[in-house]
This record gives sequence, C-alpha cells and structure tokens, in this order.
Amino acid sequence: MMPQQTVVSKVNESTIRVPFDTPEHAKIAFRVLSVDQEPRRNFVQKSLSLEDDVLVVHFIADQVKNLRTAITSFFECLLLCQDTIKLFGEQPQSQLNNNAGTQSSADST
Amino acid sequence: MVCALGIEGSANKIGIGIINNGNVLANVRRTYITPPGEGFLPKETAKHHREAILALVQASLKEAQLKPSDLDVICYTKGPGMAPPLLVGAIVARTLSLLWQKPLLGVNHCIGHIEMGRLITGAENPIVLYVSGGNTQVIAYSNKRYRIFGETIDIAVGNCLDRFARIIKLSNDPSPGYNIEQLAKQGKQYIKLPYVVKGMDVSFSGILSHIEELADPSKRRNKRKKQQNESEPEYSQADLCYSLQETIFAMLVEITERAMAHCDSNEVLIVGGVGCNERLQQMMGIMCEERNGKVFAIDERYCIDNGLMIAHAGAEMFKAGAEMPLEDAFVTQRYRTDEVLVNWRKD
Repeated sequence: MMPQQTVVSKVNESTIRVPFDTPEHAKIAFRVLSVDQEPRRNFVQKSLSLEDDVLVVHFIADQVKNLRTAITSFFECLLLCQDTIKLFGEQPQSQLNNNAGTQSSADST
Repeated sequence: MVCALGIEGSANKIGIGIINNGNVLANVRRTYITPPGEGFLPKETAKHHREAILALVQASLKEAQLKPSDLDVICYTKGPGMAPPLLVGAIVARTLSLLWQKPLLGVNHCIGHIEMGRLITGAENPIVLYVSGGNTQVIAYSNKRYRIFGETIDIAVGNCLDRFARIIKLSNDPSPGYNIEQLAKQGKQYIKLPYVVKGMDVSFSGILSHIEELADPSKRRNKRKKQQNESEPEYSQADLCYSLQETIFAMLVEITERAMAHCDSNEVLIVGGVGCNERLQQMMGIMCEERNGKVFAIDERYCIDNGLMIAHAGAEMFKAGAEMPLEDAFVTQRYRTDEVLVNWRKD
C-alpha cells in the first residue's frame, strides 16, 4: 500500500462516555483519573471532561494498537475508582439496591 | 494527634495500615505469591492488588474500629517501585481522599521503611541498612536528608536471593528469602563465591551468574558448547544457599561498618524485606558487638513492606505541615531516598 502520505495525517480516535450516579461522583472520578499522564512513548493523547454526571474521555492515537493499550489501562483505573466510590461513597437512596450484589456498603459511611 | 491511613503497593505486597499518634491500630497485608521458578510481573501484580485492596481497606478500618471521619490524612506510596502496582494504591488513595474529604500525601517508600524502623526500635540516629527485593542502600541522616552512603550498583540483594530461589525452584511461599534462610541452616560446606565490594558500593549480579552456573552446570555446558570434566563436585542446594547468604551478608556488613566509622555512629538499624533474615541480623550483631555498638532489627510485620510504615511516615510529614495538591498525587518508578526533605526531624 503506497498512499502513506495521506494515511499519516489521519488519526484514530475514541470517545468513552461513563455515566455516574451523581455529578459529585463523576467529578471525583474526573479529578482522580486526570492526574496520570499517558506514557510519552505511547503517542496517545488523552483528554477528560465532565458533562454533568457523565465523564467523557477522548483518546487520539496514531496507531490502533496504541489506542487499545491506552484504553485498556484507562479502564483498569476507571473500574478501580468506580468500585472504590461504590464501596466507600455515599449512595443516593435509589441506587442502593443496585449494588447489593457486589459488596456490603453498610459500614462504609 | 494525627490519625493516618497508609496504602502501600510498590511491589508484590499490598498493605493498609492505620496509625494514631504512633499507636498501631491496624496493619493488614496480602502478598502476591507466584509459583516456584517464577517472579512477579507488573501487570499480574497490579491485578492481584486491584482485587485485594478494597477488602483490605475495609478490614483495616474494622480492625482499628474507626470511621473514615476519624482519619486526618490518607497516605500512599508515591515511589520507587513498579508503576502498575503503585498506581493501584494511588488511585484508591486519591478516590478515598476526595470521598472522605481528607488531605492526601505521597510518601517515599524508603523513607517509610526508615521511619517505621525508628518508631518500632526507638533508635534515635542510626546508620540504616535498607535491604529489600528492590533496594540495597546504606543510609545516614545528615542535615535534613537521609543520605545514601553506599548502595548496589546493579541488582538489589533481595533480587539476587529471589532469583537464586527461582533457579533452584524454591517455593515463593511465604517468601523466597525465607526459604533460602531455612535451607541454608542445613548447609555444611562453604563454597567460595566472588566477593564484590567497590568502595561503599556493592554488586550482586556477578555473584548471581556465578552461583547460577554452580547450581545448574548443565546450562553452562549448553551455553559454552564445552564438555566439563565430570569430576567437578555437585554442590547441594543447602550448601549453595548457605554460601550465598554468608557472602552477600558479609558484603553488607562490611559497608555498614565503614559507614558507622565514617559517621562515628554506634547504632545500626536494619529495615526492608531482607532485614528480617535472622542470619543477617546475627552477623550485624557480631560486628556491632566488636565496635561496642548496637543493632536494631524488627520483625516481619514491620520489616516487610506494609501500609503502616506509609501511614507513619505520612503522619510525620503531615505534622510538619506537608501538603500535596491532588494534581501532584502521581506515582513515579524512580524516587531516590535523598530527594525527600526530612523536615520533621529536629536534629
């Protein structure tokens, strides 16, 4: 495949939208996950933003492979952060039942 | 009164500790143990930590009989260590700090070891020998810094022991170093090994390659395509463990003794995972006795990586007025002991 020049300018992108129970929890996740920079050799740009109770993460990479790596490690951090919020954060009343299956949050507050 | 919760996860141990004004309230820990012959890799270790950490936080609060609101500060290990496991601790620490609205502090792992050792033993101003799977340093305090007087120029002493345990397929449960120590007690003959002290520094990688060849001569034949004469004696695993320990510990005792002479100090504190090896403590004791000095050693609860030491060092920093904005709460694989300004010590 020859048309390298045109391919070079194209980028791989991905946007992930993660809803949270409350805007406060979304803000906590936003602040927690904004701290870590992408490794420099990864050639991935990551930007986080908030839309009310939705955390929006946008990835730009030159290669799909790098995009996948960045997203995978981001999800690992995101899930850990979400689990921590679920277990130790204050739950809005309507949400309490949804978490009953995971771990007890009775003594966390 | 400062009540601190500490999260440590720089290597294969994940630990949470809670300390209130120097009183130990909780110290819980889980270790990622790999099968014999295998070491722990960053990704798998991080996965282990992710699965264990939240239950450990709950367990520590329960053990301490505290509510999150009783805490004053959340501390985590900022470095040095492997990035993926470090990040697990950092993410949880940041999240808890925001959820519970408590200040957050990143602690240097080595400083954690030193301060914990001083707290437990009551040693005022000792020469510190910090020996673990990732670090080997002789440290003395001077002018608000813990200065590194000597260190390894390649691999850490614990890394040398761990890798030797892997070569001879010793179990990693509870730790490879412990199993070497037990096997070494049955050793009868001392096998001469290279002794590598360079000024105040030590080197272990050459010793490891040398003993690797002794332990498994078949490998050497394949490598060099040369038939060895069959009369070469086969060494028992016990003899190899015994000789390895004697040699590398002698090296450590030598540089520690020189540091004592340089600083005119007569106290030694041994910290870090290798520090709970009783043979090392014994050898250090003999050296100190000859110099009319004293050796301070601690047991595995506080010697091996634990959350408590991070909580304690963090509490000291907090008392001295340290603050850390959330944006700076990242992790770093390299973080030298002498980078930290020790402003909580009065001397």
